[in-house]
Amino acid sequence: MIIVKNLKRYYGTGETAVKALRGVSFEINKGEFVAIMGASGSGKTTLLRILALLDDATDGEYTIRGLKVSSLPEAERSYYRLTQVGYVFQDYALINEMSAAENVYILSMMEGKSRKESYETALEALDKVGLKEKHNRIPDELSGGEKQRVAIARAIAKKPDILFADEPCANLDTRNSKQVLDVFKELNEKYGQTIIMVTHEPWHTEYVDRVITLEDGSLVSDVQKRR
Amino acid sequence: MINDIRVGALIAYCSVKRGNKKTLMFIVFVLSLIFMNLVFLPSMIGGMTVLFTGMMQDYPYGDVVIEPTGDNTYINNADNVLQKVRAVEGVRAATKRLDVGASIEHKQKVVGVTVTGLLPTEEYEISRYPYIITEGDFLGELSRDEIIIGAAIAGTSPVFGEIYDNLGEVRAGSLVDVTYSNGVKRTYKVKGIMEGTFELVDLNALVHYKEIEEVYGLEESKATSVVVRVDKQGTEEQIQDKIREAGVNEQVFTWADKSESLIRQAMQSLGAIDVMSKFVSLIVGAALVLIIIYINVLNRKKEIGILKAVGITPGSIVLSYAFLSMFYVSLGIFAGLVLYFALMLYFQANPVVFYETMEIRPQIDPVLLIQSIVTMLTLSVIAGTLPAWSVSKESILKAIWSR
Repeated sequence: MIIVKNLKRYYGTGETAVKALRGVSFEINKGEFVAIMGASGSGKTTLLRILALLDDATDGEYTIRGLKVSSLPEAERSYYRLTQVGYVFQDYALINEMSAAENVYILSMMEGKSRKESYETALEALDKVGLKEKHNRIPDELSGGEKQRVAIARAIAKKPDILFADEPCANLDTRNSKQVLDVFKELNEKYGQTIIMVTHEPWHTEYVDRVITLEDGSLVSDVQKRR
Repeated sequence: MINDIRVGALIAYCSVKRGNKKTLMFIVFVLSLIFMNLVFLPSMIGGMTVLFTGMMQDYPYGDVVIEPTGDNTYINNADNVLQKVRAVEGVRAATKRLDVGASIEHKQKVVGVTVTGLLPTEEYEISRYPYIITEGDFLGELSRDEIIIGAAIAGTSPVFGEIYDNLGEVRAGSLVDVTYSNGVKRTYKVKGIMEGTFELVDLNALVHYKEIEEVYGLEESKATSVVVRVDKQGTEEQIQDKIREAGVNEQVFTWADKSESLIRQAMQSLGAIDVMSKFVSLIVGAALVLIIIYINVLNRKKEIGILKAVGITPGSIVLSYAFLSMFYVSLGIFAGLVLYFALMLYFQANPVVFYETMEIRPQIDPVLLIQSIVTMLTLSVIAGTLPAWSVSKESILKAIWSR
C-alpha cells in the first residue's frame, strides 16, 4: 500500500545541512499497525510528517496505492490530506473554540456533506472512541486522554486510508495512554485501519504488528511482531 | 467554493460563540471609536455649514433675493416687483430694502457702516432682525430719526468688541450722527442695539425705509433688494424660476447663489479640513482594523496550521477571517452608531458654543453614514483577508511549529 524508496530530508544545504533522513526505504501493507521508534532526533517525526504530506522530502520517492504522492501539487496534497489521510498530533491540535463534534464534523463539511450528515458522521466517529456522550464539550472541558480520543475521532471520521499518529500518548498518563492505544488497536482489528504511529515508549509496541526503528535518520531495524 | 463558505462560516461562528468575550468587547469598542472618528467631525462641520448658511438666509438674503440688473443701483418700482413675487405660489413673504453706505459718529468716534432701510413690520416675517435686539426696541412703522445699530459698532459686542472699531459703549437712547454717502447728515436716536454674533449683522445699522428714500430723494418705490421667504425650504430654485416666469426682469438669486462668494471660501476651507480628516480617519481606521485582525490571526497561527494539516482549504480559512472581521466591524459600526446618536442627542441639547454665542449643532447626514459604513465594511474584508491569506500561504510546519 505504501512504498517508500530512499527518502531523504535535509534541512539547510552544503556542509552545515542537517540530515534528518538519510535515505529510508520500506513498504507498509494495508491493515498494518506499525510503530516507528527511535531516540529523540532519529528522524521518526520527520518521516511521519512527510508520509502524512505535511512536509516535503528532499529526495526519494513515496507512493500510496501506486500514486506518487510526493510530487503532487499543494492543492491536491490538501485534498489528499482531507480525504485519504488522518493525522493525530502529539498535543491533540484541536480547535479550542469548537466542541468535540464540531472539531470532527468540520472535515465532513469540507468534503461537501450536509450539516446533518456531517454531524451524524462525527457522532459515529466519537462513538468509536467512546466519547459520543461528550460531543458537546469543548476541549477545555475534556481530559488529556479524551482530547486525544477526539483528535483520533477527527482523524478517522473521514475513514482515511492511513491513520498517522505522532507520539499520541506523549502528554498522557499510563491509564489514558492505554485508553488511546486500545482505541487504535480496536480500529485496526475491527475496521482494518492502517495505522502508522511514532512512539518512543517500548511498551506501546505490545499493541502493534510491526516496529520500524530509526537511528540518526537511517532505518536500523524492521521487526514483524504479529501476523 | 460553497464548501469553503460553509466551513469558513462555521470557523467564524465557533470563534465568536466561544471566543474570549472581553477581547471581543474591546475590539468592538475600538472599532466603534474608529467609526465615530469617521462620522463625528464631518457632522460638526455640517452643523457649522448649516449655521452659517442659516445666517445668510435669516439676515441679508432671505431664501431668494432680487437685485437690480446690470449697472443699475436700484430696482425700479419695487412695489410692482413685490406684487408679482407675492402672487407666486410657495412664497411666504417678501419685502424691499435699501442698502447704502454711511459713517456713524458718536463722541468723536467714527465708524463706517452699511445702513439698511427696511420696513419694520414686514421684517418680522422676513428676517431675525426684530428678534435680536439686546437693548432697547426694534423699529416701528412710525420710527423716524431712530436707528438700530449692531453691537460691534456700538461697542457692546462681547464677540467682536476687540476686533472692529466701534463707537465706544453707545447705548439705547444715545444720539449718533450719520453721514450718508451722498453727504447728507442726520442725527438719530439709537432705538435699539442688535446682536446676531454675525459680522454682516453686528456691523450693520437699520433705519426705516422711508429715511433712506428721503435722504437720497428716491421716488417710485426704489430698492436695492427685494428679499423673499418661501413656504418650504429646498424649493428656492423652483421659486426662483417661478419669479422669473412671473415677469420679474431683475436678477433673481437663491440664498445659496449669494452665499457662495461669501461662504464658499469658508466652506471650502472647512471642506478641505473635512476631506483631510476623513482621509486621516480612514488611514488610521484601516491601520487599526488591520492591526487588530493581524494580531488575532497571529494568535491563531497554530490553529490555521492545524486546519490546513487536517485538510481545510486555505480559501475556507481566509473566508473565516473575512467573516470574523466583518462581524467585528459590523458590531463596531452598530456600537459606533449608538454612540454617535447618543452624542448627537447630547449636542442637540447642549450645542458647541462658538464665538460665545454661536451654537453649533452637529448635523446627521445619512449619505455620510452610509459611506462610512460601506467604507468600514470594505476595510474589514481587506483587513481580515490579507493577514489570514498571508498566514494560510505559510507551510504547515511553519504555521504549527514555527519551523
